[in-house]
Amino acid sequence: MKQIGKIIATEKVPTTVDEFFFWTDKELIIKPFDVVKVNHIKSSITFGVVEEISHLTDNSSFLAGYISSDFGDVNYQQYTQRIGMNYVRAKVVGNSQGIYTPVLDGSFVSLASEDDIREALGLKDIKNPLPCGYIEMYEQPDSVTIPVHFNSHFLIGPEGAHLNISGISGLASKTSYAMFLLKAIQDQYIEKSKGESVAFVLLNVKGRDLLAIDEINEELTSDDKSIYKMLDLSTIPFQNVKYFYPYSKDIVSSTYGRDVKSQMELNKAFLYKYIFEDDKESIDLLFSNVDDPNQTMESIVNYIATGQGGFNGITNWNELLNEVYEHTKAGASGKDKEITVLSWRKFYRLFRKTIEKTTIFSNSISSKPKDNETRLKEAILNIKKNDVFVIDVAKLDEETQGFVFGDVMRSIYELKLGQAYDRNEADIPSKIVIFIDELNKYASKEVPKSSPILRQLLDITERGRSLGIILFSAEQFKSDIHDRVKGNCATHAYGRTNAIEISKPDYQYVPPVYKSMLTRLKQGEYVVQNPVFRSLLNIKFPRPIYKQFKNG
Amino acid sequence: MKNIRKILEDATNGICYDSYRYCADEELKVPTINYEETQSFTLLKDRYGETDTSLKHTKDLTKKAKQLSDSEPLFKYFLDGSRRTYKVDDIEINKRIFPIMAGQIGVACCERKNPNNFKCKELESNLVLSLPVEANPETRNTELFFNNLKEKINNTPRVQKIGLKFSNILSYSSKANVDSKELKYEHLGIAAIQDEMVDSEKKIVANLTAKNLLNEDSYLLKDGSLQYKPMKTGEYKELSKIKNNYRCVIGVSKLFNPEFSKDRSGKSNAALLAKLPLYHRTPAYMFQHEREKWSYLGDYKYSVWYVRIRDSKHTESPFAGIVKIEKILITENENENGLESDLIDVITSNIINERNPVCYGKDSRWANHLYPVYLTELFLKSKYLSDIHFLNLF
Repeated sequence: MKQIGKIIATEKVPTTVDEFFFWTDKELIIKPFDVVKVNHIKSSITFGVVEEISHLTDNSSFLAGYISSDFGDVNYQQYTQRIGMNYVRAKVVGNSQGIYTPVLDGSFVSLASEDDIREALGLKDIKNPLPCGYIEMYEQPDSVTIPVHFNSHFLIGPEGAHLNISGISGLASKTSYAMFLLKAIQDQYIEKSKGESVAFVLLNVKGRDLLAIDEINEELTSDDKSIYKMLDLSTIPFQNVKYFYPYSKDIVSSTYGRDVKSQMELNKAFLYKYIFEDDKESIDLLFSNVDDPNQTMESIVNYIATGQGGFNGITNWNELLNEVYEHTKAGASGKDKEITVLSWRKFYRLFRKTIEKTTIFSNSISSKPKDNETRLKEAILNIKKNDVFVIDVAKLDEETQGFVFGDVMRSIYELKLGQAYDRNEADIPSKIVIFIDELNKYASKEVPKSSPILRQLLDITERGRSLGIILFSAEQFKSDIHDRVKGNCATHAYGRTNAIEISKPDYQYVPPVYKSMLTRLKQGEYVVQNPVFRSLLNIKFPRPIYKQFKNG
Repeated sequence: MKNIRKILEDATNGICYDSYRYCADEELKVPTINYEETQSFTLLKDRYGETDTSLKHTKDLTKKAKQLSDSEPLFKYFLDGSRRTYKVDDIEINKRIFPIMAGQIGVACCERKNPNNFKCKELESNLVLSLPVEANPETRNTELFFNNLKEKINNTPRVQKIGLKFSNILSYSSKANVDSKELKYEHLGIAAIQDEMVDSEKKIVANLTAKNLLNEDSYLLKDGSLQYKPMKTGEYKELSKIKNNYRCVIGVSKLFNPEFSKDRSGKSNAALLAKLPLYHRTPAYMFQHEREKWSYLGDYKYSVWYVRIRDSKHTESPFAGIVKIEKILITENENENGLESDLIDVITSNIINERNPVCYGKDSRWANHLYPVYLTELFLKSKYLSDIHFLNLF
């Protein structure tokens, strides 16, 4: 391959086990994340990934530069250009024979072939390959494009699980990337009739983002399609999709979706409701963002769920509200001395706000087939292999969104723990992938420790892998997220972010040049970290395969 | 395992003292006026160094330089030589003690193809030893003896292991010690190494000429004076024979003794030189070897003139910013009447245009340095073995 420079090791900047430096011509175009190879001892090859490129001249100071322009004459032309070169810092990612002694001064540095790049980055012979994008390296005419694959065992278990995607909204296209990966997973598992199986539960948190994922994207160009082909992916959108919209009489007031009716006719859309009798245990989820240091809210929920006081025999949400109201009256605390009237009043205030605002808390579920009404929990307990459930919460208020999300997680947990009595174990998908955007709402550092949703999330990230519950999450700022939640994610994808974010300790291990690259990443570009890869990878992925709504 | 000193002891019947080894060069720290420059050349009084005899004071070349700055530069090749000398031991030969001197010699010529392309064209890089002639126990076959010694040294495992080779073992006559002012043998040893370097320089110029690379449009700029001291030894000792190689070569000295700058009548010109305005040149003067002493070498004359390339308000001494330019007179006409004044103007203007970039902050002589020469010098230095490495060969 093309030789581009030679190793420099100096007294002050030696080559080490971890890194090396080499010079290149100042006009050679090379960029961070490019792989280079160095001839090393015993005819072995050491691979490095470019981290930093600097241009250097023998100018001793800015002043010398000024003087050299004839004491500040901008038009001055000189006979000789100042001697200059580029020097590149590269991180060692491996050696063909496992020799990790530092590379030697004067060794040749060259561009790597496609095969070399695969070997260097650990992309070769990946087991259980799952496409996660592609990398582009070097400039024409040496440019190479290589598909990149995760080992699916490290993305959705059992070796490692959970994915976290971060990046500023719009430019990072977090949802698109998550959907790209989910699509790849579905493509792979839909063909499998035996062994592991997978199902997906996606929460649509904004606009109509995920409300047409089984419809084709008509704007997809042939170039995009060829990328899908290169990655061995089908060009059809998601299959087996079911949409769940929050119930309201006119439908429009509780969702941004516009094709709900037609989707219902095709029997792929449902309206979900919460019925007091079956869902009263979940009320705690409504208070997950309320600071509850003395756990009084928790006690009240417990009080109600166990039917103490006057709560026995209540059959609907209104009765509950009335009963709670009773407890807020002066002197009412006589009934139960442990919970003060003040606490009851707080509970009432918060609870009434939610119940009155949303329409999903209902008295009964229509049994008419064309109404397509359902309880979410019920639907989830019956999820089938390769099913994709999209649960729309975009138009709900924040508390209710949390409530639904918490309930979804609980239901999945119940399903996987075998509490769905009437289901055959073999029919339950062995893995369920949950995708939630705006994770910061539920698992930020500021969320009260007592939050039942946070507890649920921690449970999933810490123990979900063995149960087959996989969390794909996204948020704008990774640094906001609870350490235990992000710490348990095996795979991280960093999209474009801003300068304030990269100054946070979360990015401490990221080399400075990559950091500033993170602030310049283009749409459709990610920096990915996965245990299988030997270094961070700058990958690209094609535009979404499913229908996009320009105005949300 | 025999080391180099042991081999020297055996071959010369001497005794090595294992004394302190050090680099004998004094690094130039502050630019000073070089009052100690030796001058073996004399001014030819009442002779003009150029054809325009009407030029009495100085000539402003600002306009000419500006005019030429758009065209291709005249200088395409740049030559610099340097050496680093070391005292590696003392040796007792016949009850006298001589120092064993060693040196690294480097002479490089770089080519500038365009402003962005500056590459080495020729490089001579040699390791040498310098011993007194007494090192040879016999009176005859001196050359053969030193050649054999060189082979023996080059065959020692230590030298072979690192893939180096001594190219020559030089000898100096200790007799010179008596009548010359050079009181130390050390200086004689260094002088021999210096002569070897000068010889290498001449060799490179000869090579370039042989390859037809030097012509009216591509001159060679040599760092330092062209006033080669006549030498008794060396392949290129006869200056008149190699004179023709220097048709398109000029020498530019950064440091010079202003006291040697004389006007046509032989009076010191130093004060006038200090006041030389920016981009002005002095008239050219004609110099010649000390005729009586070196007449056997033939006619050998130079034109010498000075130009200020940097404003004295920016420099630290009145002579900083002035360079001395020399050219050997080749043709009969030149020898009679001096150089064509037009040629002098073109050469000088090109020197003025070479003034940037500067090595300000890197080299204290920045005001007198020309960047391509500086680069050549840098290249040479990068080729040296480190002092520690070299000293530990012994």
